[in-house]
Formats: sequence, C-alpha cells, structure tokens
Amino acid sequence: MDDREKAATPGQAKENEGAKLGTVAPTLADGEEHPVDPLTVRVARIASFLVILPIAMIQLIFLTIGWATGGMAPPLYLGILGVWLMLFAPVFLLTYRWPAARYRHLRYQVEEDGLRIRRGVFWRKAIWVPITRVQHTDVAQGPLQRRYDLGTLTVHTAGTAGAAISLDGLEHGIASRLSDHLRPAPATYAN
Amino acid sequence: MRTEARRLHRWSWPFLAAGTIRALIVPVVGAVVASRGVLLSRLDLLSVLFVVPALVLAFMRQRVYNYRFTDSGLVVRNGLLTKNVRHIAYERIHNVALVRNPIHRMLGVTTARIETAAGGKPEALLRVLSLEAAEDLRRYTLSEASEAAALDSSGPAEAEAPEAGTQEPETARAETTTETAPLLQVPDRDLLRLGLISNRGLLVVAAALGVGAQMRWLEFARTPRTIVVQDWLNDQGWRGLYESIRTRAPDWASWVFESGGLIRALFLVLAALLLLLVVLRVFSMAWHLVRYRGFTLHQNNQGLRAEYGLWPAVSSLIPVHRIQLVTVSASLLHRWFGRASIDLETAGATDTKSGIGGAAGTASTRQWLAPIIETNRAHALVREVLPEVDIDGVEWMPIEARAVRRIATRTAIALMPITVAIAALFTFSPIPLSGWHALWLPSVVLSMAWLVARQWVRRTGYALTESVILFRSGWIGLQISAVRFVNAQTFSMSQSPFDRRKRMASIVVDTAGAGGSGHRIRIPYLDVEVAEGILRRLYNETRGTEFRW
Repeated sequence: MDDREKAATPGQAKENEGAKLGTVAPTLADGEEHPVDPLTVRVARIASFLVILPIAMIQLIFLTIGWATGGMAPPLYLGILGVWLMLFAPVFLLTYRWPAARYRHLRYQVEEDGLRIRRGVFWRKAIWVPITRVQHTDVAQGPLQRRYDLGTLTVHTAGTAGAAISLDGLEHGIASRLSDHLRPAPATYAN
Repeated sequence: MRTEARRLHRWSWPFLAAGTIRALIVPVVGAVVASRGVLLSRLDLLSVLFVVPALVLAFMRQRVYNYRFTDSGLVVRNGLLTKNVRHIAYERIHNVALVRNPIHRMLGVTTARIETAAGGKPEALLRVLSLEAAEDLRRYTLSEASEAAALDSSGPAEAEAPEAGTQEPETARAETTTETAPLLQVPDRDLLRLGLISNRGLLVVAAALGVGAQMRWLEFARTPRTIVVQDWLNDQGWRGLYESIRTRAPDWASWVFESGGLIRALFLVLAALLLLLVVLRVFSMAWHLVRYRGFTLHQNNQGLRAEYGLWPAVSSLIPVHRIQLVTVSASLLHRWFGRASIDLETAGATDTKSGIGGAAGTASTRQWLAPIIETNRAHALVREVLPEVDIDGVEWMPIEARAVRRIATRTAIALMPITVAIAALFTFSPIPLSGWHALWLPSVVLSMAWLVARQWVRRTGYALTESVILFRSGWIGLQISAVRFVNAQTFSMSQSPFDRRKRMASIVVDTAGAGGSGHRIRIPYLDVEVAEGILRRLYNETRGTEFRW
C-alpha cells in the first residue's frame, strides 16, 4: 500500500473556508484538485487483462492445434503467429498503458457546495456538479475493487447527458465520505 | 432518526425472480421458436436452465438487500458481486409509490418505488415490503422536509394510475381557472406560411406512400380506377402520357413542345421538379392547417394551455415551472416572412404508468410555444411566459473569431474529395462546360466554406444575465436558446485535441429531459480562459438555487 502513501489524498490537504463555516468535514472539501487512488491503475490493468488474456489464449490454442494436427505447414504457422503477435502486442501495450494515462488525467475537486471532475486523455472534459443538483449518490464496489479497498462514486442528477456522473477509483472510505458530503444539507434551502 | 438495517419481506424472492424471469421470457420464446418447438417438449430442461437459477439468484439478492433510515436520507444497500450503497436524501424524494397486484394483495405485501427527479430508472425499487414496512417507509421519507417537494411534484399531468393500491392523496386542485385573453392566436394565413417554411410535405407523401403500400398489400389497390390507369400506362407508356399532355396543352404553352433537343428536356425536368416542389409545399400547408388550426395559447393560474388542431384536436397544458429550455428559431424562410417559431422543452416526473417495473423516469417533450409568430412579438412572448428571459435586453458575447479558420478548414477538408471528383468529371468528360477551367470549382468551394464559416461565427454567441444563460447560432437562420440557472443541472467544458492546440473549449449546460435533437446551450469555440470564467460564473449562480419540478 505504499503507492497510496505517495498520493495526496484530501485528508492531508490544508484546512480552508469549509472548515471555518463548519458545514462539512474540513479535510474533504478543500477546493483542491486531487488524483484518485493510484491503485486504480492496477485494478484497471487486471480487469482489462482478464478480458484480453482469455481471448488471446483461445486464439493461440486454436492456432497451435491447427499446426499440431498437421493441417498447417510450419512456415505458415510461424507467419500467422508473427502477424498475430504484431496485432496483439499493441493491444497488450495499450491495456497496460491506458489505465495509467487515464489515471494521470483524472482529477477531482471537492468544493463546499459541489464536485468538479476533470478527465480525458485526448478529449478532455471538466464537469461541475453543484450539490443543489445532486439527486442521489451511489457508492459501488466490485470484487476487484474490494480487494484493493477502492470504490466508484456515482452522482445522479436530474440532467440528461449528466444524469449519472461516475468517479472511478476512489479509496472506498473517501468515496463514502464524499457521498455523505454531496447530500443536500437542509441549510441549503435558500431558494 | 437512525434505524437499524431493514430487510425486504421474506417473501420477496418470488417477486424478484419474477422480474428476472420476465426479462428472460423473450429470449426463451425466441429459442423455442428457433428450435421449431423442439425445446417445448423439454420444458423440464428450460425450467432447470432458467427458473431455478433465477430463483436462487433472487434468494441471494433478497439476502443482501437492505435499507435503513439515517438522519439525512434513505440508504439502500444491494448487489451480489458489485456492492452498491445508495444514498437518497429525504428532501429529494418526490413520492413513494406503492404498487400492488392481486398476488401482492394475497400475500399482504407491496412493491415500493422511491421517486426523485433524477432521470432514468427508479431511484429505488423495494420489492417487496410488508404493508407495515411500507407505511414506515412513507412515514420516514415523506415527512417534514419532503412535504414541500411532494406538493410541488403533484403536477397537473399526473394522476396516479388506478391500479396503484395505496396512493399519495393528490392535492385536489379546484378547477377554478381564470382565463384571460389569449397570449397568442395563430391565424390560418400564418399556418400556410409555416407550411411553406417547414418541409412537412414529404411527411405527407411518405404517409401516403406508406398507406398506399399497405393498401396494395391488402389487395385494395386493385380498384377499377387504378386498374384503368395502370392498363392505360401499360398500353400507351410514358410517351403516350407525354403525347396526351402535349395535345391538351394550352396554346401559350405549346412552344415548349415545339422547341427541340436539350433545352426542351431541361425545361421539362425543371418544370417537373417545380411541380413536385409546389405539390410538396401544398401538402405541407395542408398538413399544418389540419394539425395546428386555431392554435391558441392561454395563460391561467395553472400555467399555459395550448389548444390546436382539427385532427387530432389537442389541448395541452404546459406547466411553466417545468420549462427547462426555450428556443426561438428563425430559418431563412422564416425571416423572409418576418416570422419565427418558439419551442419549449419541458420535463417532469412521469409516475403515471405504474406497472410494477415501470420506469418512473422523466419524460421530455419538445413542444411549440408558438409554431409561428411575428418576429417582433416573439421575444415579447417569451418574456411574458418566462419573465427572466429577456432576449432583446441581453448583451451578446461573441465566440472566438479564430474559429472561422478552423471551421472553414474542416469544411474544406470534408468537401475536398467530392469537389475534386466533380472537378475531374468536368475536366475530362465530353459534356459542355468541360475543360481545364473546371478547376475553378475547388477555389469556389474553399471561399464559400470561408464565407459561411465567417458568417456563422459572427452570428453565434452567448449571453449571461443574472438568472439566464442564452446561446444563439446560425449562419442564414438564427436559433436562440435560453436556460434559467434554476433549471441547469451540470456544466461541462470539453476540449478536443484540436481545441487544445488552439487553446479553445466548448461549454455544455445540461438540463433535465434534454432528449433528442434540437438547439440547446452548447457553446463551441470559446477561449479556454473565457470558458473557465463562464463555467465558474454558472456554477456560482447555480449552487445557491434549488432545482424543483
């Protein structure tokens, strides 16, 4: 878990106005950009390898059966194997590199009265959600995430394109606290 | 108010399984049909394959499903592999719909559906609870804070379906409506103009063709008259038709048939096209007359009421507080007639259909505020309906002028293959106008692309007032959309790789029920700094307001 030590989680951030007003946990709504938990890279890699690997294995096995049963001349087998490798190497590389790239470009920022998410490797997107527009929140945890104590926070609004905004790869405890934070406090009834 | 976790009723699993099985019925029936009934004789196999796993799954789901009431909201936990914890604040809960069918009644249980304003699926479907538990649920969730919301949610278009057993007592609204003079009355003349403007003629033709095809399929088309026409065409052919038109043509038109060769052919083709166009437009006018005859807009204490149409005759209530977006559009043809069209996007919780699994999502509708209206009155009408939206009074801000180059380049690149192909065709073919001088085409396309892009960028812009954001766009037409901050949900800023290279960004304001196509607040080609500023401003303005249906 030393990966996690390096990451600046909101817990370590300085106190701010949120603390002064005393409406929210001061350490969470610090108004600073934070990366999600670095372990999410590992989880994403494992998850995508779990998909890619069986496909690759099945193809490889069929290819080998074709060769072993004599249906295929060795040069042909080697040729196909080479092409297969050439096609699959980038896929493997991508499943390895992409989660890290995605992680690098994923930032969230908790405000006293809202949440901002910034994401996207090539196509960048920043989404701002005021708490007053949050309808309900989900904190989900898949089996792999449970193993690494991660969780996915989903914020539901009454919007259309932004009806469900997910933040993947938070430490589960932070996701839960964030979910608590994003609930409308009765005091926000200013209208 | 913090309770221990509560489970579902112990007889929940058959109901949970029923949901799964219902979802599986279509594929199973498909499989049976595909097997030509062979599978039907193996019903035992089918049940082992589908029913037993569904039951086991349902039992396990019942075991993990629980809910509890905390100080701020309802917390629902579920999920076998992926565990999910859902927090629903009491303030956000509009309604707790209890749905019971005869089986529920027999077992003394009910399905409870928690509804908030969020789009999509029901926020929580508690399947099933004992009646006492359901009452508890309603007591906890629909107490203090939510009362206001519950009152507010009882929109006019929503009467609980009769089969819903115990219901939220609808706040009985007395039908004391004080009608005043109509805000708008569309005369027939304007509807004819609208028919000219909007191309609904094809719709009529398509409908006619569809009906025609249907008729022929039903062998109704073999009526004596069509047989006569068909036989005559078979005998005489198109040449015969042409001859008969020629002999019947009046004297002043006879020259068309006398002059020979290419000109005549061209003229005839043009005439035919023109005729088609006229016919389509006439159809379109007729369609609009039938559809929108006597369009009247009234304002009363409930909201707006629009009445229109010969067939079907429509009387629709537009709840003003549910208007999410308003758009004023004026195409080129609109502008020639000095007219504009105004449409609205409304959204509301549609909890009317209460089938057990029935989605209680939000229905969005785009409807006319005014199908056609004089341009100078359009903005006033919008202001009358939504006082905050004062289109004439705002200060429009431009988008980046640098965008012209990007748009023109993109258009030119997209059009280049076809331009080159046409230029090549001109250059190397024996038809008239050919020769190397056909190379003028690409340059014309390029400059046209530039001009169009420049015009579009000039006219596109946005405006921010104290409570509204407006966006306008168009190059020969113009569309203006406005969203009140109260109705804005989330804000996003996007940057494509091209945007990033040019330090630009686009902004989207998301609203409820923004389904389908249509003009909305989607401001492209802003400078990044400007976009950030707008986003901050929108966020600051919105965070203090409460969104209500």
